Amino acid sequence: MSLVKAEGLFKSFGKTRALDGADITIRAGEVVAIMGPSGSGKSTLLHCLAGIMPPDKGTVMYRDQDLTAMGDSARSELRRTEFGFVFQFGQLVPELTCVENVALPLRLSGVKRKQAERAALDWLAKLEVDTVADQRPGETSGGQGQRVAIARALVTGPKVIFADEPTGALDSLNGERVMHLLTTAARDTGAAVVLVTHEARVAAYSDREVVVRDGRARDVEFAR
Amino acid sequence: MSIGHALLGLLEGGPRHGYDLKRAYDERFGQDRPLHYGQVYSTLSRLLKNGLVTDAGVEAGDGPERKRYAITDAGVTDVERWLSTPEKPEPYLQNTLYSKVVLALLSGRGATEVLDAQRSAHLTAMRELTRRKADGDLADQLICDFALFHLEADLRWLELTAARIDQLAAEVTR
Amino acid sequence: MNRVFADLALGVRLAVGGSRKSWVRLLLQGVGIGLCVAVLLLAASVPTAFGNRQQREEAAGPVTTESADAPLLVENGSVAFRDDNVRGMYVRVLAPGAPKPPGVERLPADGEILVSPALAELLASREGELLRPRFPQKVVGTIGDEGLESPSQLRFLAGDGKIEPAEDNRVSGFGNAEYGEGLPEVMLLLSIVSAVVLLFPVLVFVSVSARLAAAQRDRRLAALRLVGAGATRVRLIASGEALAGAVVGLVIGFGLLHAVRPFVGDIPISQLALFPADVVPTLPLTLVVVVAVPALAVLTSVFAMRRLIIEPLGVVREQKPVRRRLWWRVVPALGGAALLASQAGLFGSGSKPNDAVVVGGVVLLLFAIPALLPWLVERVVSGTRGATPALQLAVRRLQLDAGTAARVVGGVAVVLAGVVTLQMIFATAEREVRGDRAASADVKHLTVDVSGNADLPQLPGVLAGVKGVVDVQELTSTYAVGPERQHFAVKIGSCDALRLSTGIGSCADGDVFVVPPASAEWGTVQTGDTIALGKARVPWTAPEVKQAAGNDTGLYITSAAVAGIGLTGELKEVQAEVDLAVPDVVEHARNAIAPYGWRVHTYFGGEDISDRVEESFSLVRNALYGAALVTLLLAAASLLVVGLEQVRERRRPLAAMAASGIPRSTLAWSLVWQNAIPLVLSTVVSVATGVVLGALVARVLDGEVVFDWAGTGLVTAVSVGMVALVTVATLPSLRRATGALGLRTE
Repeated sequence: MSLVKAEGLFKSFGKTRALDGADITIRAGEVVAIMGPSGSGKSTLLHCLAGIMPPDKGTVMYRDQDLTAMGDSARSELRRTEFGFVFQFGQLVPELTCVENVALPLRLSGVKRKQAERAALDWLAKLEVDTVADQRPGETSGGQGQRVAIARALVTGPKVIFADEPTGALDSLNGERVMHLLTTAARDTGAAVVLVTHEARVAAYSDREVVVRDGRARDVEFAR
Repeated sequence: MSIGHALLGLLEGGPRHGYDLKRAYDERFGQDRPLHYGQVYSTLSRLLKNGLVTDAGVEAGDGPERKRYAITDAGVTDVERWLSTPEKPEPYLQNTLYSKVVLALLSGRGATEVLDAQRSAHLTAMRELTRRKADGDLADQLICDFALFHLEADLRWLELTAARIDQLAAEVTR
Repeated sequence: MNRVFADLALGVRLAVGGSRKSWVRLLLQGVGIGLCVAVLLLAASVPTAFGNRQQREEAAGPVTTESADAPLLVENGSVAFRDDNVRGMYVRVLAPGAPKPPGVERLPADGEILVSPALAELLASREGELLRPRFPQKVVGTIGDEGLESPSQLRFLAGDGKIEPAEDNRVSGFGNAEYGEGLPEVMLLLSIVSAVVLLFPVLVFVSVSARLAAAQRDRRLAALRLVGAGATRVRLIASGEALAGAVVGLVIGFGLLHAVRPFVGDIPISQLALFPADVVPTLPLTLVVVVAVPALAVLTSVFAMRRLIIEPLGVVREQKPVRRRLWWRVVPALGGAALLASQAGLFGSGSKPNDAVVVGGVVLLLFAIPALLPWLVERVVSGTRGATPALQLAVRRLQLDAGTAARVVGGVAVVLAGVVTLQMIFATAEREVRGDRAASADVKHLTVDVSGNADLPQLPGVLAGVKGVVDVQELTSTYAVGPERQHFAVKIGSCDALRLSTGIGSCADGDVFVVPPASAEWGTVQTGDTIALGKARVPWTAPEVKQAAGNDTGLYITSAAVAGIGLTGELKEVQAEVDLAVPDVVEHARNAIAPYGWRVHTYFGGEDISDRVEESFSLVRNALYGAALVTLLLAAASLLVVGLEQVRERRRPLAAMAASGIPRSTLAWSLVWQNAIPLVLSTVVSVATGVVLGALVARVLDGEVVFDWAGTGLVTAVSVGMVALVTVATLPSLRRATGALGLRTE
């Protein structure tokens, strides 16, 4: 049963063609690594899958909803409630404390602050960073910051987590730790993970890989 | 590294005589270990016996041996099977991998497929190692990491090669 | 020392060299500082402009002589037309080579006239139709710029062969210092206060502009640290960059001044129109601008790095900013208030307030705003955590860096406070002027003064023949010196004539009335006092003096009471009562007596006089509004640039938040709150400061404190609207930053 299914995606930035007929299917609860050289269109594929940017052509289905047919605010709402995001860096609001950062998506969905922050603290504890809860992101280490970001991605109980080079700015040890925590937490909650990476050791945390080359996704398993 | 498959791959470009084959092999793959004539002829006769190559007449001229060989359909199938079968992921694969990529390009097949198949096989092995690492103790982790980093090195080489595939194709088929 | 210059030069190179981006940044800085420089240079031109104006006025003043063989006879003529007053001279040339006033090539012969370009235009226009009969002479030329105060001045020079030599009309030359009016003392003080109020924020914006793109600069400096530059050298290099921006700003500023100059003659407010040639900054003030602006830019950019640690691998802002302390921030406020209070009530009571102290007080009180605002913003946001996510984002940002927002909005606040202050002062002054005249607003009399050198027996008849003129009365206007050497205005005429000027009830020939002055110390005339009457100081003992009410204080004497005491050569005054229902009756009456030329001067009711008095007020007030607008626009421009800069600096978190499904509206609201919180606080502070300042300055000028709430509301609304507009203008860039492209790494 597919959770996210994209077919025939095309996307150009000016003259550069980032996606050139990409197909991909994500099933519930699986960890899929999207691999490929830089500039191959990995991130663009992730952005299209997550409804951050609409493709020029093609469809993206999330369950039975067509993301490409939804308006901006509807997609925003979907991203906030059904998806979680982890980027390489710079995703935490520098002015808010870590616990406030994690609580932010809940508060936007109308949860009271006390409640939201309690839930946020639980997640920070699970990711072993509850010690930095009251510090601002700038005061934490890179590994801690990424764990806070993972907590923020997981706090709403998303069905899919989109992670774009989540360990890109970390050393090997911290990267391993973050990947372990991310995939373990995702498997525990049954969330699927779409992981964009160019590192094989990071991709090794996935269940299967999809290779993007020249804007086309080679879905190794589904192509067979 | 199978000399038989390499010779078959070289023959895909057209019939050649033994001396020619040795020269072509040495030029492409034999930098540190050139083939002996004996090796070439024993391999060719094995291939002949198995029906993978066939006699293509004798070339006129001087020189010791002018018998030409051509690849058969069975030979082409054999090369194809060899190319599409990933090597068992293990350290120091480069030599074999490199030959495969060059031959795939020489024979007009997509080298990308070779790389993707290999990456898939490598990743499967790496997933297994990653899983073992998660369950194992520190010693296990260190051992697994050793293997993981070596496999990753292979893959990085593969990625780099993939990125340069056009350049390589232009050079090899020249 | 060489090293220092080398570092500064490197900074300049970094600022001007390289990418398109760095050029754009330099240009933005340059434009920001350039606008400020242009405003400062315009202000620096004011002394030249007023100085030249006064010089020309003096140069056109006739110098009289006692000598009987003077080459020229001159009578001053002033032709009132509606709200305008057309000033001019009637001349009669007695000898060839007679002196010529400036701007005149040939003196007009009898029946000829020279007019200023503005007067020529007025005469040619439809509105000038009723003015034309008053200048029947043949126009033979125009008065050149050097004979005019401003391009919009209405002025004429007419030839009149009928002028007879008299005591005070023989002229030997032109150039009389006594003719320069200058600005009255009150106006001068007000102008100084206005200038301080309006130029102060300009300095704030210089520092804001100098710090544009500071984040990028910090990253660049970090790269310099990486290749081995020490912390002090980095500061020097930063100074070099700021210097480059300031120099570009100076160039742009001078360029702007040059570009704007041709248009100063077209300013629609007539009192503000200037000759482009007059807009020349004075040398000392130009030097001050040229030195102070770069110095300020360098100082602020170095000062801004005070809490910044530039490390080789990046920039660290100290995470916990020092808690702002209140005590030194209150000092300017208290000091300013004390200085102003010390000068209160000094005006008009003999001694006059010390300009320097007043200006110092005003500056200190205005400085209190930027000093207090960051503290106040910090104090207000420190306790709160934000009820909604948008508010939380804004509040948290302000908690981390209350300074930047407060500083920018603080600039607007200073303008606001200054304008509120000045509005109050003007409202106060205006009410006093208006109050004097309120009662005479319904006066229906055209007063015609007859020049001492003329005898016009037919004048009352001519006036009486004009349609709409109901009644014509004659009066003699003179003065008297009382027993304690006080001077009184004296009017002598029939009961009917006196009744026109004052509120006397029953009146019989032989009666004497007094309208006492407002203050008893100025003394009054009582029954039996002996006073010296008229130019000839004829002693005269007052019979029974009756009290009367009226606007103009003085003695009102029926002709019978002074009959036969030998008053001669006194000014004659003819009062014509008009029926205001007849359209333009006043102008028609003036046209009827136009042939008398310089021999008569007319003024109508309260209107004309109040206009003339208010002219100076409106001059300064219009200048104030114009300058306030320029300053507010400047503020808006720098607010916008800072806003855009902030969005760009935070592009990544913004894009990541939008990607995670945080609605753009939440992000937009956080921007609105981020500007709105300091804005509301600054509005409160600035209006409060403005009111206090206005009250104090009004006390210094010895005026009653009047609040101009409408004006205050207007200016407040304009500044609030402006900040709202600026916030809206940053939204497209927010949209761009939150697009998926914002996520792409460079």
